[in-house]
Amino acid sequence: MSFLQDNMVYILVATISMSIPLILASLGGIFSARSGIMALGLESMMMTGAFTAVVGTYFSGNAYVGLLAGMGGGALISYLYGILCIRYKVNQVIAGVGLNLLALSATTLLTELIWGNRGSSPQVASIQLNLSFLSKVPVIGKILEGQSILLLITGVFVCVAWFVLFKTVYGLRLRIVGENPKAASTMGLKVKAIKYQGVIICGMLAGLGGAYLSIDHIDLFQRNMTAGRGYIAVVIMILGRYHPFYVVVAALIFGFSDAIQIYLQGQGIPSQLMQTIPYVVTLFVLAFGVKHIRPPAGIGMHEDDH
Amino acid sequence: MNDIVRMTDISKVYPSSNVRALDHVDFTLKKGEIHSLLGENGAGKSTLMKILYGMNAPYSGEVVIYGEKKIMSKPIHAIELGISMVHQHFMLTPVMTVAENIVIGREPRKGILFDRESAEREIQKMIDTYGFNLSPKAKVEDLSTGEQQRVEILKAMYGGAGIIILDEPTAVLTPQEVNDLFAIMRRLKADGKTIVIITHKLKETINIADRASVLRDGKMIRTDIQVKDTTIEELSRYMVGRDVELGIQRPSLEIGEVAFEVRNLNLVEREHSILKQINLKVHRGEILGIAGIEGNGQSELLEVLTGVRKPTSMELRKNGELLKGDARAFIDQGIGHVPEDRMSQGLVASMSIMENLILGYHKRPQFSKRGLLKDTEIEEFSDQMIEEYRIKAPGSRTPCKMLSGGNQQKVVIARIFSEDPDIIIIAQPTRGVDIGAMEYIHSRMLDLRDEGKAILLLSADLDEVRNLSDRLLVIYEGEIVAEAERNQMNESEIGLYMTGSRSQKSGE
Amino acid sequence: MESRARIKALLKKLMNRKVMISVLALVMAMVTSGIIIKLSGYSPVEAIMAIFEGAFNGKSAIARTLVQATPLILSGLAFTVAQKAQLINLGVEGQLYLGALATAMVGSMDLGVPGGLHLIFAILVGMLVGGLYAGIVGVMKVRFGSNEVIATIMLNSIAILVANYFVSGPWKAVGSVTGQTEKVLDQVRLARLIPHTQLTLAIAVAIISCLIMKWFFDHTVPGYEIKVVGQNKTAAKVAGIQTGKIVILSMLLSGAIGGLAGGLHVLGVDGRFITGFSPGYGFSGIAVAALGAGSPIGVIVSGLIFGVIRSGSMLLDLKTDIPLTYADVVQALVIIFVATPMLITEMIHKSKRVVSAMNPSSKKGEES
Repeated sequence: MSFLQDNMVYILVATISMSIPLILASLGGIFSARSGIMALGLESMMMTGAFTAVVGTYFSGNAYVGLLAGMGGGALISYLYGILCIRYKVNQVIAGVGLNLLALSATTLLTELIWGNRGSSPQVASIQLNLSFLSKVPVIGKILEGQSILLLITGVFVCVAWFVLFKTVYGLRLRIVGENPKAASTMGLKVKAIKYQGVIICGMLAGLGGAYLSIDHIDLFQRNMTAGRGYIAVVIMILGRYHPFYVVVAALIFGFSDAIQIYLQGQGIPSQLMQTIPYVVTLFVLAFGVKHIRPPAGIGMHEDDH
Repeated sequence: MNDIVRMTDISKVYPSSNVRALDHVDFTLKKGEIHSLLGENGAGKSTLMKILYGMNAPYSGEVVIYGEKKIMSKPIHAIELGISMVHQHFMLTPVMTVAENIVIGREPRKGILFDRESAEREIQKMIDTYGFNLSPKAKVEDLSTGEQQRVEILKAMYGGAGIIILDEPTAVLTPQEVNDLFAIMRRLKADGKTIVIITHKLKETINIADRASVLRDGKMIRTDIQVKDTTIEELSRYMVGRDVELGIQRPSLEIGEVAFEVRNLNLVEREHSILKQINLKVHRGEILGIAGIEGNGQSELLEVLTGVRKPTSMELRKNGELLKGDARAFIDQGIGHVPEDRMSQGLVASMSIMENLILGYHKRPQFSKRGLLKDTEIEEFSDQMIEEYRIKAPGSRTPCKMLSGGNQQKVVIARIFSEDPDIIIIAQPTRGVDIGAMEYIHSRMLDLRDEGKAILLLSADLDEVRNLSDRLLVIYEGEIVAEAERNQMNESEIGLYMTGSRSQKSGE
Repeated sequence: MESRARIKALLKKLMNRKVMISVLALVMAMVTSGIIIKLSGYSPVEAIMAIFEGAFNGKSAIARTLVQATPLILSGLAFTVAQKAQLINLGVEGQLYLGALATAMVGSMDLGVPGGLHLIFAILVGMLVGGLYAGIVGVMKVRFGSNEVIATIMLNSIAILVANYFVSGPWKAVGSVTGQTEKVLDQVRLARLIPHTQLTLAIAVAIISCLIMKWFFDHTVPGYEIKVVGQNKTAAKVAGIQTGKIVILSMLLSGAIGGLAGGLHVLGVDGRFITGFSPGYGFSGIAVAALGAGSPIGVIVSGLIFGVIRSGSMLLDLKTDIPLTYADVVQALVIIFVATPMLITEMIHKSKRVVSAMNPSSKKGEES
């Protein structure tokens, strides 16, 4: 009994901690998609965030500076994504894929240039604050006590995102821009500015998700450390119907598949095969789960289209 | 001086195509008038009004509004001056509510919060004032076209606009809805609003407008026409530049036996009955027209009858023989199909004229053999079609996107007609083409009919259906509600059937 | 006289808008990466010299360049073929991996058939496996409307993990420490064109594949149908083309070419499947295809250009501290710049304005 219980707790703890970066990234994706730009560049924003977070921590010695650097890095590359998609009207898929490849190669290159090692950075300081003060809470205390403070921050962001999107004038405008940029523009809204804002919010959140992976999880940067999570986050965003609360639920499914994978690796099953689980789950969701979900109608459109 | 808008010497050149859309145009608006801006497709009417609305910067020339010179480079400039525009393609967001759509850009707020209650209250008040049957909480996607137009009008009024521009507002409406719209316009006029109606329909101009201006090929032909002193003939001469024979009819000389027969056609999708128990017959040497407001099942009917969509039940006979299969089979069986929207369904715009002229027939022996295209034959055929159908193009290898709407439509028509199909199903044959191309396409259709082809015509243009068809059906909510011989029913009668206010079906 | 006119016509054809964009995008990518090199404290001029030396100095350098160009051309072609049907096949890497594994396995088995036959069979099996793997995505797209970008990325990860499992487990070469299969039989190895290099007929196969695909798209019915489906799916449907079949067909073709790239690498270069053998050839293919502007012939040229960059960068890596990853950065920049024609036309306009500003005779300049 207690064996199972221990494992359950282990899996749940891992589920939550694997979900945090996915929630953050897909939450960011919502802001981008709702403003009319499909966030296929999420991978690049996470990757850059993971990298700049380590750089920030390495040079400042402070993991919180690193977190901010991660958000900044994500914002920077998302700004680039915005310039491509908004100003130069590049096909969003191509722009996203191009930036994802650029982020992968540029972070690898810079890792080498800064630390002289092709594969990874040295270990850096990590976020020390965790939720141990919650250990006394019955039932879930055990699951929460080891979690990073970022869990709390993520929760707050989810609620704020919901509030902003659905209760404020700003959110209404952002959603109208994403549904029908031309209509928004004829009513005098600053469509381009709103899109840039959506994309940059996306970059900050995804960058924070990346920073969690690098400086909260394993305390260093590794080549290609996001390993497709940015793409998975896109699927989570769609499965979560572009809604902050549903996205959390969708992300937990993927976090769980990741946790199971890590757990089973310790049980003697070949690790390579176990590692495919999250990807296989994503494929299945892609095939069976998201067919009838309607994306914002203005994705890929510009206010001055004819 | 009661000219509230004075536009002088306005020119607009589109840099991408170097087309001069407007050529030194003058235009004025008087306070409290209904002004009709007339012209054919592509004459520059919308371009001119979009300049006034700030959507078409940069332009050259001068715009004076309420006596002050203004530079109109963004819609917000117009909105702030009390000018609003109801676009031909509605600028609405279907997934959002009526209220959200109307207030966008000038939302009532509490701090940073959107004050939904007071938005809905204000709009309810406007709805009551004008007697519209709408709910501010309804989602726009659940509204009919006419209702959506009212949302657009409310949007234009919200914030107290004094000048309202309506771009082709009647194109999507039934005759009854047009009457309602005109009543609303008169009411707005009585409230002191100034209205511009962009249209190519002369009758409407005569019915509703006080003054009219006519644009042709980007030039202002006549302005300051007093409508009460003019005639339809005079206006049409200004508009087209020559005399046009309006509404001529060429009835069929000989109607033969049944060539195409549909029985018991039903289409149910996701528990919605889209087409209900449709039966129709088209004879040789006959044009059968189907009239109806868009969205009453015509598109689906077209797709079913051309094999693109599978119906729930249908018995289809061609010359008495049962016909089955997919689009490929239908084409091979000699059913020609001119789709309703050439850009999305009829053409591959980026590909050349010759590649488009074989589309759907590319597996015929004259164009390919054992999977290989016969390049020389295709090009010869294409050159011949360009000549025969008077397609204005540099050559067979020109991409279709470089052609005008009328010439694109001729490519589609040439492709279908040249294959000599026994049955032609043709939808919106002249939508968005100039009068010259329209006359040409109509006369080709009538020629084919006189050769003994059976033609099924679907068109949203009631005049077109009435003038061409030897017999006419009216479709409403996926059902055939009326049938009439040529000239048996007048326009308003057909209108009643189109809106479902009347039905010939009894006791069903 | 006539020949001059013909050359002129040819030049005009060559210098169309797409080619201009590709050339300028390449220049801008090189300049941008030159700035990156400068910022990291090296001399861009030296770097370029090193790249050219590495790519062209001597027989073996040229051979290496062509060896590098081979998988780039093929994966660029694979991407281009899918793109004709408006599909973004990001899964070339996975298709290449599985194609290589399949070819390596067939090549290492003693089938008792003559060498030539064995070789062709090994290649065909690799193509089949690559094609079927891509075909999964085609079916998902047609049946469920799945986004092929994400599906192919997921399938890449799965392919690489599964291949690694096999070569470090059940199919691992006896006595080997790292994950790799047994060597293929000598009879299936491609003959070396230049001794002591890895240059084989593979490069010719790659170029011929491009020519075949060009012919396929220009002159065959399925090629025509793929183009129609890619440009306007609704019109294709109305014209009676079975769009689903065409989508799957183009994924199968694309994947088969990816599998070919992997198979040729095994038979021409390594002689076996080695874990991690591809430095991302499949992704480089996207850059090759972008620079090739959707034309199979363009892919040959751009594949060779990237072959030069990659092979030159190897020397750069050895001679300086500038790592090989530099080539990947250039590739990513090319993808972005090619996709941004508006930026390039804007730059042209700006430079024209600068020129006219410097030229006093046209002081006024033109207002848009």
